[in-house]
Formats: sequence, C-alpha cells, structure tokens
Amino acid sequence: MRTPVPIGRSPGRVVADLTTRRAVRSAIIWGYIFGIAIAWSAISYTTIYKTQAQRDALAAAYGSNKATSALFGPAPQLQTVAGFTVFKISMTLIILGAVWGLLTSTRLLRGQEDNGRWEILLAGQTTRRGAAIQALGGLGIGVFMLWALTAVITVLTGLDSKVDIPAGPVLYFALAMVAPAVMFLAAGALTSQLAPTRRQAATYAASFLGVCYAVRMIADAGVGLHALIWASPLGWVEELQPLTSPQPLALLPIAAFTALLAVVAVRLAGNRDVGASTVPDRASRRPHLRLLSGPTGLAIRMVRPTVVGWWVAIAASGILFGLIAKSAGGTISGSSVQQVFSKLGAGGTGADAVLGVCFLVLAVLVAFLATGQLTAARSEESEGRLDHLLVRPVSRSSWLGRRVLVAIAVLVVAGVGAGAFTWIGAASQHAGVHFTTLLVAGLNLVPPAITIFGIGVLTFGVRPRATTIVVYTLLGWSLLVVIVGGIGAANHWVLDTSVFHQMASAPAVQPHWEANGVMTAIGVAGALLGGFAFRRRDLQGE
Amino acid sequence: MGATAIHTEGLTKRYGGVAALDHLDLDVSQGEVVGFLGPNGAGKTTTIRLLLGLILPSEGRGEIFGLDCQRQPVETHRRLAFVAGEANLWPSLTGAETLHLLGRVQGQVDEAYRDELVARFELDPTKKIRAYSKGNRQKVILIGALMARPDLLVLDEPTSGLDPLMEQAFRHSIREARDLGQTVFLSSHIMSEVEALCDRVGILRAGKLVEMGTLTEMRHLSAVSVEATLDGAVPDLSGVPGVSAVQVDGRVLRCHVRDSIEPLLKVLATAGVTKLLSREPSLEELFLALYGGYGQGGETQS
Repeated sequence: MRTPVPIGRSPGRVVADLTTRRAVRSAIIWGYIFGIAIAWSAISYTTIYKTQAQRDALAAAYGSNKATSALFGPAPQLQTVAGFTVFKISMTLIILGAVWGLLTSTRLLRGQEDNGRWEILLAGQTTRRGAAIQALGGLGIGVFMLWALTAVITVLTGLDSKVDIPAGPVLYFALAMVAPAVMFLAAGALTSQLAPTRRQAATYAASFLGVCYAVRMIADAGVGLHALIWASPLGWVEELQPLTSPQPLALLPIAAFTALLAVVAVRLAGNRDVGASTVPDRASRRPHLRLLSGPTGLAIRMVRPTVVGWWVAIAASGILFGLIAKSAGGTISGSSVQQVFSKLGAGGTGADAVLGVCFLVLAVLVAFLATGQLTAARSEESEGRLDHLLVRPVSRSSWLGRRVLVAIAVLVVAGVGAGAFTWIGAASQHAGVHFTTLLVAGLNLVPPAITIFGIGVLTFGVRPRATTIVVYTLLGWSLLVVIVGGIGAANHWVLDTSVFHQMASAPAVQPHWEANGVMTAIGVAGALLGGFAFRRRDLQGE
Repeated sequence: MGATAIHTEGLTKRYGGVAALDHLDLDVSQGEVVGFLGPNGAGKTTTIRLLLGLILPSEGRGEIFGLDCQRQPVETHRRLAFVAGEANLWPSLTGAETLHLLGRVQGQVDEAYRDELVARFELDPTKKIRAYSKGNRQKVILIGALMARPDLLVLDEPTSGLDPLMEQAFRHSIREARDLGQTVFLSSHIMSEVEALCDRVGILRAGKLVEMGTLTEMRHLSAVSVEATLDGAVPDLSGVPGVSAVQVDGRVLRCHVRDSIEPLLKVLATAGVTKLLSREPSLEELFLALYGGYGQGGETQS
C-alpha cells in the first residue's frame, strides 16, 4: 500500500481557512459599501454646505434635536465635515455592520451545522471547541478586512483638501464603524450554540440587536434616561464619539463584551452534541395539523415565527416612535429644523414631521420583512423541500402565487400594525395625530416593500441563485441613498433609484398615491414576470 | 403487459455543452417494475427529474400515462408518487405532520395502509424531522409516497440510509404495489434490490441507454462463472476460446466463459473432472461487465 502524501500546510486549520475565505469575501463587498458611503457623505457635505452660514443653520437645526438624536444618534459639531459625516452615516453603518455580523456568523457556524458540513469538518484534525475557535478566528480576519477597506477608502477621502480629515482619527472612526460588526459576530456565534437552527439563531441575535437599538433610542431621546446609553452595546459605540470627541475608553466594554460572548460560545460548542441546541428543543410532540392542508397553510406555518418576530419589532418601534413624537415635535416647531426635515421629505410641523422621519425606519423594517419572505421561498427550493410539493398535484404558478399572496398579506398587516401601534404610543401622549392618518401612513410603507419583493420574485424566476444578493443589495442601496442623499441635495437620478425616496414621508405629508401606484405596479409586474420565468426554468439547488 | 405508463422520445438534457441525458427512448408498461441502473452521473436522476417536470428537456419529450410531463405536470402528478434519495423535509414538523401534509397535497391517502406502513417501517411519527436519523427521514418519504397508492411509483435511490431489515420491508411493499398493478420505476445502486424486484432493467452509460431488457435477455452481456475440481494437473487454457480470468488454487480451477462452454468442457474432460459448478452472472456482474470492471479477461493462468 502506498503511503499517503501530506497535502496542504495545516490540516488542523481547515475550519479557519474555510471560514476566513467566506467571511473575507463578504467583508470585501461590505468594506467597499462602507467606504463609499462615508466618502459620499463627506464629499456631499462640502458641496452642499459651502458657507459657514449654511453650516451654522444645519447645526442649529440638528445639533440639539432629540428626535433626530433618538433616531440617528447625537449630532455634535455639525459645522464640520467630520461631525456631519458621523451624524449622517454612522447609525446606518452601525446597523448594517451589526446585521452583517450576525448574519455572517450564524451562516458560517449554525448554517454549516444545519447542512451537515460541520460534521465533515469535525471528522478532521480538530475538536468541537477547536473548530469554534478556528471559525471565530476566521470571522475575526473577515471583520479586519471590513475595517481595513473602510479605513483605506476613508483615509483617501480625508486627503481631499475640502474634506481634510487626518488619517489617525479616520482609522479610529473606521474602528468605531466596525465595532458593532465585531460584537454581533460574537453574538451570532453565541446564538448559533443556543438555537436549534440557523434561522432561529439569526432571529435571536436580531432580536438582541432590536433591544439594543431601542435602549439606545430611549437614552438619546432626551427623556432624562441618558445613563441607559451604557446599557446598550450600540450605546458604547456611540460613546466612542469618533471624529468629534474621541473616547477610546468606550472600547473597553466593547472588547470585554465581545470576548465574553466568544468565550461562552466556545465553551458551549465544546459542551454540546453536534447538531443539538443548548436551548431545549423538544424532539417529540403531539401533531398540530392546523394549516397543514396545503402549500398556502404550509407557507404560513413556516414563516410564522419569523414574521411574528418582525411584527413585534415593528409594533414596538411604532409605540416608541409614538411616545416620543409629541415631545420631539415640540422642539422643532417653528425652528429651522423643519427645513431640514423637509429635505428628508418630511414636511409639516411638530409630531407629524417627527413621525414622517420615524416612518422611514418602519419602512426599512417592513422591507426587511419582504426580503425575508423571498429568501424563505428561495430556501425551500435550494434545500430541496419544494420538490416534495411540485412532484404532487401542485403547479409552480400555484405555489409561487400563494407565496406571493401570503407575503403581501404579511406586508399589509405589518403596515397597518405600524400605523396602529404608532397611534397607540402617540395617543398616550396626546400628540394629536389621528388614527386614520397613521393607518394611512402605515399602508404607505407597503409599496416600497412590494417593489423590492416583486423585483426579488423576478430575480427568483430568472436567476434564482442571485435572489438573496439582489434583494438585500436593493434594500441596502435604497437605504443608503435615502440617508446619505436625503439630508442634502443629491443627483435626482441617484435618489430616484431608492424605493424609500419614492415613498412620501407620511404622516408629515400626504402619501403620493401615484408614486405608490407605480411602485406597486412595478412589484406586481416583477412578480408576474418572475412567475412566468419560474414556470420555464429548472429547479435549482444551492 | 398493459398500456404505456412511461414513454420518452429522444429525451435529452444538456448542461452547457455536456449531455447529461442523450436522446433517451424508453417505454415502461403499466404494471411493470423497471429498474434503472448506471454509475454516478450516468443520467438516472436527470431522467427522473425530467419525467417529473422539475427540469426542462433540451430536446425530446416524455409522457406519463399519455400525459405530457412538461405541459401537464399537475395531471401527471395526480397519478404518481416520487421518492427522492435525499430526504430534505421541513425540520420543524413531526413525522405525523409531514405525512398529513404530503397526503393532503397529494389529494389521496389510504389511511389504514399508511398506519400499516408506519408500523412496518417502525417509524415513530411523534418525532420532529430534525430529530430523525437519515434512515428515518427516508422512511417518512417512502411512507408518504406508498400511502397514496398511486398508479406509478417513481423511486430514486429509495432505500438510501435504510438498514437491512427496513430494506426487506421496502421490498415487501414494492411487491405489494406490483401485485396491485401499480407501476414502479426504480433507480438504484443496490443490484440485489433491482435483481429481486424488477421485471426489466435499463442501464445508462454517459447519458445513453445502453441496455434494456429482462435479466435473462441481458445474460449475454457477461461470462458464465465456472469452478472445476480436477483429478490431475490443470491443463493450459490459453488457447480455449471464450475463457478468461483463470485462477488456479491447487486442483481447483475458476474461470469465466463467454458464448459456448463446450470448448472448455472438452479440455477439462481430458484432465479428469471430479466436480463442476457453473453459475450465471448476477446483475452486479452484468453491470460490472458492461462497465469493463469484471469478466473482461486480462488475468493470466497461474
């Protein structure tokens, strides 16, 4: 028998190598997005707010406004490029970074376990604990790449004479921007050990992110609870105060929290069976046959846990926005901030104007709900479960049509819920906003989500493997454009590519029914064309 | 045999420039149990997915009970049930919930038979799919197909992950189906399974159907195995036509013989034969012979 020849340098490091490769690939894409978003924000400030008077007006409008502070974080030093850049882009990048972190780590840890690849890797020269450490190391290299690309692009931007931000502060700013990604990579690693499936692991981590955001909002809402900022990991990131008044000590809780989550994750990985969860998951139960009468009921039952989670998040956010609307609105009435809100599309006065901006956040949540519906449908196909339905008397059109109808119903309920729960919050503070006004504002959130969903269905029909990347890119791009371009002037062609820009900021202004009609029509047309294409292609796995 | 259950004409599937299935012409009569063999990548699963309408043909067409597989998938699927080799089911559902769902989607279930199958395959239906082993998940898919009592069972590696006892339960179930007049199209790597169950066998090679017939009809593909115990020394067999793979162990001679055995018998008679055994090739030997891995000679007399 021939002696096997060693190949590769370190067979014991296969998990690290695989995880690094996949994490870095994703981090490169997001590093570019982060860097370009920061550059765009900084350069747009220098072109829009050219005079000191304009910059002072901007600072007066936002500098002490609690509503925008609650939504986007504090706005110190708006008279400077650095201060404006932090205010304009940081909260968006913080949220995107956290979402990237939790999705990446749950995909590369629990996801690998779900599809059986983890077992193959563990059969090699490693242990459960060792593999978890290696995976965390790979994720760490990925997040380093995210930081490096963000930093390089931002340093280059800072060299522009009009922007003029030194490299040192920029590196610290980039570190602050990727800090949430680091923490939520670790959070995702931990929930991957707790939950029985990748989807549940991501839901646990996303719920934690929602709580962190809500706590930070309350802390920044000017209701005398600023100390709560130290109760939220997102608050720690805010306390880093990059480019304005750097507080590097805030890195300590971030580092300690990340280390704690990572250590617990590794310990749990070593102490449980592969494929099992730490949170008890009953292996047996009496059958619950409700909804299991066909593809529609099955779709509802499969998406129900995730959808309910999103509905709760939207309802909670709505209540929170309603609670702060009156007090935040009072601070802007009659001030120059109204002009700035108008640039965001939120005209009107007082609570209406504040809610107009708040509903942009709700629109993003509803759009995330739409993308989640689509990726769930795609995973039915890619993981082979759809075969079991389509080899029975169920047509492709019927299956996809039912999924689309379920998704639209889910989105409409989310929109109605957003309006209704915001009204509950606002009414408790006697904000003077009518129920029907907020209900209409809630329904106004649905067309952008339907547009994204419809384009996603079209992609699903034509290029199914690109579905997830297309819908999340469209959502991320739309969010980026409306945040970065919304405050100042920007090329209208660019702005028009954002579905959120097309959405009127109800209740601050009346919904644009014409634009809503066009968005809905695009969504419906995309869904119909996608359905047509789906009937004429092969089913495709991962 | 009855009317046609499966009919294909020039059925072809290409991926880029590679033909996964190349002009397949196939007919399966109602009530037949037909085996479909071939190594990995020969086109077995592609054939089945084309017949089920899950992928589209590049050329040709397929019919099931006279219905076009691509244009009338729903009508076709009312009369068949499919078992895949990969048991990807909904992890959060229990076995009972999955069977209920599959039955409702299929539109017909013999509930008494379903319960009998659950007992026969020793499935605990209260467990969640994610808690099942691979074999138990496969049982759920098998029961889900058999319980519908369809006119046609399309089975793609159906016993993947089953233990030998459950393999026997599967064979029993297929014989029951045949006795009831159901048609079975069975793709499998387990030669003994195909040999035991199938009336006819088709063998695919690189996307082409290279053989189709009953086992008897296919015996010509391989040599007969011969084992002879001799009185004296083993004679030189190098010049005997049709003889190959000669092995000598003391006075025992083993070899393969193609075509007529008469030339070999004449030579052995001169050496004094005390015992002679001959055996027709198994399906596995036929299969290997077709693929050049067995019975093609090359061994020299020792």
